[in-house]
Amino acid sequence: MVIGRNQNPWKECRVTLLEEEGGTLARRLSGGGAVFHDLGNLNFTFLLPTEDYDPEKQTRVILTACRSLGVPAELSGRNDLTAEGRKFSGSAFYHNRGRSYHHGTLLVDVDMERMGRYLAPSPAKLAAKGVDSVRARVVNLSALQPDITVPALKEAMTAAFGRVYGPAAEPVPPERLDGDAIEVLLRRNRSWEWRFGPRLPFSFSCQGRWPWGELRLELSARDGIVRHCAVWTDAMEWELAPRLEAAVTGCRFVLPELEAAIAGAAVPHGTDICALLEAQSI
Amino acid sequence: MNFPSELQYSRSHEWLRTEDGAAVVGISDYAQDSLGDVVFINLPQEGDEVQAGEPFGDIESVKAVSDLVSPVTGVVCAVNEALLDSPELVNQDPYDAWLIKVESVSGTEEMLDAAEYEAFCAQCGEEG
Repeated sequence: MVIGRNQNPWKECRVTLLEEEGGTLARRLSGGGAVFHDLGNLNFTFLLPTEDYDPEKQTRVILTACRSLGVPAELSGRNDLTAEGRKFSGSAFYHNRGRSYHHGTLLVDVDMERMGRYLAPSPAKLAAKGVDSVRARVVNLSALQPDITVPALKEAMTAAFGRVYGPAAEPVPPERLDGDAIEVLLRRNRSWEWRFGPRLPFSFSCQGRWPWGELRLELSARDGIVRHCAVWTDAMEWELAPRLEAAVTGCRFVLPELEAAIAGAAVPHGTDICALLEAQSI
Repeated sequence: MNFPSELQYSRSHEWLRTEDGAAVVGISDYAQDSLGDVVFINLPQEGDEVQAGEPFGDIESVKAVSDLVSPVTGVVCAVNEALLDSPELVNQDPYDAWLIKVESVSGTEEMLDAAEYEAFCAQCGEEG
């Protein structure tokens, strides 16, 4: 799952479920919403000096490629490509000191069931600063034209690039790329701090009721770490609220870590409280 | 397009003025106009160090994310928190909607005055 530069991971995506099923959450430099990636989602990037940056021309490459494969592709709004009213491609854009890129997705044969599962809204009350995703009706290109495959579309994109930009496109061998510079970026992109810990603060709350009483938990986080936690409960055990607050404060907002902290602090009814957190699908 | 004469401008379209010994940084009218509607501004925290010519945050508009480049080296002493909830203030009045204030300034980018910056923007417009 790839989220936009200024998005909250837990608001956009069921992070725990995604990771349990072998997925990874990543954050890109460009803006916009959450996108599901598997091997059926072909990605492209136009990377150029800002003075050569021309979204209209770049988009023409993609439209040309799709039309050459028989898809009646159209630009919808600023960022989306659609066919028969359904979106199969989204673009995002980034500028940094004279350099720009335009990148995006092409849904060729994506597992829509999994996509829907991870993007399903969580029942938790999560309020975050930042940018919200916009839902769209999506379609796989292979559903529109059964002979479209990822390799076929790659070839069509390369040919279309040559048609729009002039001489035929030449592939660059990976050895020509700066491995050391890529290593630095990889380290940043893989880090928990980049993916989950941007400064955007957020708050989270949930509540439950059991035979032993009711409980409401509210917490606020920054840098992906719980900074404050407040608990209200009518449980008989007076130590429940202070122990739970102390256990969770300072923890990363990661479900297994929150659960381990609650278990480690011997919070009364800890099992029920962990089950409540699990039910929030964060 | 508005280019107040009391401000200095960077080639990456930030403006700079001095107020009570601190450097106040924002983005220009030209910048907000080319960005389009701003949806989010990601700013540093008080106490963070910023470096002249280096990114100190980013601004997301309906068109793109752009890095914000600091015109000065120093320490952030104030952040315009109102922009977290109302980023559109930058579109409405880019010279009132400052982003950060920086103290202990030890270096400054090469800056343009209003007339030079206006000419620079005209040139950018032709290329773009």
